[in-house]
Amino acid sequence: MDEKQIALEKIRKTVTENPVVLYMKGTPQFPQCGFSGRAAQVLKLCGVKKYVAVNVLEDKGAYDYLKFYADFPTFPQLYIKGELIGGSDIMLAMYEQGELQKLIEPATAQQ
Amino acid sequence: MKVTPENVRDYIQQGLACEHLHVEGDGRHFQAVIVSKAFEGKGMLQQHKLVYQAIGDRMEQIHALSMKTLTPEQWAKQA
Repeated sequence: MDEKQIALEKIRKTVTENPVVLYMKGTPQFPQCGFSGRAAQVLKLCGVKKYVAVNVLEDKGAYDYLKFYADFPTFPQLYIKGELIGGSDIMLAMYEQGELQKLIEPATAQQ
Repeated sequence: MKVTPENVRDYIQQGLACEHLHVEGDGRHFQAVIVSKAFEGKGMLQQHKLVYQAIGDRMEQIHALSMKTLTPEQWAKQA
């Protein structure tokens, strides 16, 4: 496997084995980009207690290759049950419509 | 080369037929309002993907693009 395949396999494993995964620049506590910070804030507003946050600034494979995984070129990216939901604009719009909460609640209920 | 809002507008327009397109930005962060018939019947994720596809590899020149995507019908209701 080349570098790209290894990175994509790691992403696949991460997003399918964890119900909620946020790929972001920085951490929820110390976001390194306004959009990533907003994404983490939206998850907090949704009442998500536990989710996996991947700091792409410390994960070169994710930084270089996440854009190919679901054909989406920017950070942050939110995955619920292995599916890309979107970036921070989509997260915020779905939260305001009450749709994001509806996706997250059942996904995290078993935890 | 510094990317201008006009550049971003051109990038989007070259790959996506838009009824209305407005882009603002400071060279790193851009905000766009995009109205296109191509968005009809699609979810927000697919709509955003269409815009990214129109921009293509030039997305690497853009640090961040915040976008609001609307169908002509949604746009008419808003106006």
